[in-house]
Amino acid sequence: MSFSHLAHTLFPPSVRLPDILLIDVGLVLAGLGILGLLTKTRRWGWLWREWLTTVDHKKIAVMYMIAALVMLLRGGIDAEMLRAQLAAPGAHFMPASQYDEVFTTHGTIMIFFMAMPFIFALFNAVVPLMIGARDVAFPRLNAMSYWLFAAGAILFNLSFIIGGSPNAGWTGYPPYSELLFNPGPGENYYFLSLLIAGMGTTMTGINFLVTIVRMRAPGMTLMRMPLFIWSAMVTSALVLFAFPPLTVALAMSLFDRVFGSSFFTLAHGGMPMMYVNLFWLFGHPEVYILVIPLFGVFSEVVATFSKKQLFGYPIMVVSILAIMFLSYGTWVHHFFTMGAGPGVNVFFGLSTMLIAIPTGVKIFNWIFTMWGGRVQYTVAMLYQLAFIPTFVIGGATGVLLAVVPADYQFHNSYFLIAHFHNVIIGGTLFGLLSALYYWWPKMFGMKLNEQQGKWAFWLFFIGFWVTFTPQYLLGLKGMTRRIYTYPSGLGWHNLNVISTVGALIMGAGFVVLVFNLVWSYVYGERDLTGDPWDGRTLEWSLPSPVPEYNFARIPVVHSRDAWWDMKQKGQSLAALRPEDVHDIEMPKNSPIPFLLGVAFFVVGFGMTFKWWPIVIVGGLGIVLCLLFTGFDYDDHHHLQADTVRQSEASLGRLQG
Amino acid sequence: MSETNQALTAEQAYQEDNDSALGFLKPQFHEEKFPTVQIWGYIGSLVLTFAAYLLVMNHVLPPVALLSVILTLAVIQAGLQLGVFMHLKEGRGLAWQLIPLYLVFLIAIGMVGMSIWIMLFKSGVS
Ligand code: HEM
Ligand SMILES: [Cu+2]
Repeated sequence: MSFSHLAHTLFPPSVRLPDILLIDVGLVLAGLGILGLLTKTRRWGWLWREWLTTVDHKKIAVMYMIAALVMLLRGGIDAEMLRAQLAAPGAHFMPASQYDEVFTTHGTIMIFFMAMPFIFALFNAVVPLMIGARDVAFPRLNAMSYWLFAAGAILFNLSFIIGGSPNAGWTGYPPYSELLFNPGPGENYYFLSLLIAGMGTTMTGINFLVTIVRMRAPGMTLMRMPLFIWSAMVTSALVLFAFPPLTVALAMSLFDRVFGSSFFTLAHGGMPMMYVNLFWLFGHPEVYILVIPLFGVFSEVVATFSKKQLFGYPIMVVSILAIMFLSYGTWVHHFFTMGAGPGVNVFFGLSTMLIAIPTGVKIFNWIFTMWGGRVQYTVAMLYQLAFIPTFVIGGATGVLLAVVPADYQFHNSYFLIAHFHNVIIGGTLFGLLSALYYWWPKMFGMKLNEQQGKWAFWLFFIGFWVTFTPQYLLGLKGMTRRIYTYPSGLGWHNLNVISTVGALIMGAGFVVLVFNLVWSYVYGERDLTGDPWDGRTLEWSLPSPVPEYNFARIPVVHSRDAWWDMKQKGQSLAALRPEDVHDIEMPKNSPIPFLLGVAFFVVGFGMTFKWWPIVIVGGLGIVLCLLFTGFDYDDHHHLQADTVRQSEASLGRLQG
Repeated sequence: MSETNQALTAEQAYQEDNDSALGFLKPQFHEEKFPTVQIWGYIGSLVLTFAAYLLVMNHVLPPVALLSVILTLAVIQAGLQLGVFMHLKEGRGLAWQLIPLYLVFLIAIGMVGMSIWIMLFKSGVS
């Protein structure tokens, strides 16, 4: 392969646009800057020991969180670019091909590389603390999940600099994602990065399912688990069943593209619709994977800030389980227009509407929890208050979409776009931000500034409605999704301008949010009590930030809202007697998860360009990592009781 | 659901050696013997997979026979994986594993069955 040919493969015209070249320069400079800074401050050893090789769920949570925020920035910039293009009819902000790439990366990144890792950040940060455990069930596997996610995310984000981005939408439907119609590495990037990150996700699902089933503190029966734990458990179960169909669909598509099979191709008897079926077999449960954890967050937040026990706990549990089962039986509503016939469509239309019932039940319970409570309007609570009406409207438009004949009109119009942003922003993003404000003190040891947080909140909330209300109307006026421009004279212009203004308001919200995080990190009020919100669940019984071993002594649980109950009885976990502290067995750091991530990245990159020597090198790396870790029995160490005593004493939690 | 099912009272927990009473919570780090069974299970899975692959690629059988043979191979492999990697007979015994297993079959059959139902419309099968 000649040099110019190589250069053309790596840097085709689609990545030589002026804005991308500018970003290239910025990234190289930023990269060099970080490398220089690490070398100058001699942080390499620290980085390796404290972060890259860690298996501590709390640190993994921080890494997930940082990655998710960075991806929120990337996805947000994509969104602003899309809105800039659509602000005026016939605009030429971007060429059509780039517009396609940008909406593809926007959707893929927001779902797989922003929302999912953000949710896993919460699971990692909170689940072990809430159930009174010292780590997850499989700490090393947990680190592997993270590094597989990171490998997938980096691979995906590389595409716009090297080789060209995927452009077939976040769903990657054939035939357009087929090799015949879509040569070039873009779609390979998509399939490979989602495959790699998806493996990590599946492992996380298993890990948290086992953790919650097996590692709860004594006395924490199922019906005493905080609702966030229920939601984490149900989400993990959903992951376990939803991701295999996705993995299969992605792998088969990859085979079609790389090895010339024809599972989903138009030629040789392939069946493109089968991809759509498999994708949504995953996709619908996925939207509940994206929202159920936040139902859990809201249940904790609303109880804490209303100073009341959650209303109707058993009903909440039953409805969350009902949603789990029902969400497996609705996936056809994403492709009613495929034309499977009235029998199929009616069945799935009805099953979709059924889901609204348990969801409505939950909404009522949250409202009744606030009813008669002393509601504190913290930022976390404001997001909860904003979530209720926003999500209700999103759910209601979902029911409209589930009316099959109507969906033939709504499908793939801006009405659909408005619907799912209504539920995903109103449910998932608001929930994530609520959780960010609620648990930040526990993760980082300081509170986020409430005043700045309120600014960010109002910008997000108002910006959201200004952006998406016009999109419902645009959908009704016939504007379809994924069009890169439109002629004037259709009556779409004004509404699009309003929508773009809304997007800018949300962008401002993001800027204030980041300012708030950075400002609070430097100047924020330290959380010295460990219980800044007068919380109800066990994580608030610990100091912030939490010591490595979490609980010097595993607590015993006697009721729901265990920590609240202990406080009412005047008990505390902070008055340990020295003789109560014993040696603690802790998992040991390991470089394997990180190296495994690197190896998967190498395989992914090689396969994207079909450079087999690179694939083989990476593949050997994977095998070696797995062999090594399979026979590595030296994976734990003992934390001496004296060390624990010292650390507890320095936190003022030891008697005498 | 309030005061039933208590594992330990706070007082008891204080008196007892907490960590040893909660031994079951500890991560299990003990060493296993060499995983011969798993390695054979792995090789077996690979053989079964490649057998199906070769049968399909080389068109040795007529379609119906081919389908039934590869389906049989799939069932054998599912059984093998359940036994070798999913610890079907370990833990608290088969009875505990059966209920989740039924559920899994229900969901899996539901997914496959409904997919067939959905895809059996006139124009889709080209
Ligand atoms: C009452 C609850 C809900 C109902 C009845 C409902 C119904 C629907 C229907 C029928 C569609 C397909 C519309 C079409 O393609 O023409 C759809 C699309 C979608 N929904 Fe929902 N939905 C509900 C809740 C949710 C939730 C909670 C989420 C996520 C958190 C969500 C995310 C999505 C997404 C992402 C799409 C579009 C996917 C795409 O085509 O790219 N929905 N919804
Ligand atoms: Cu759906």
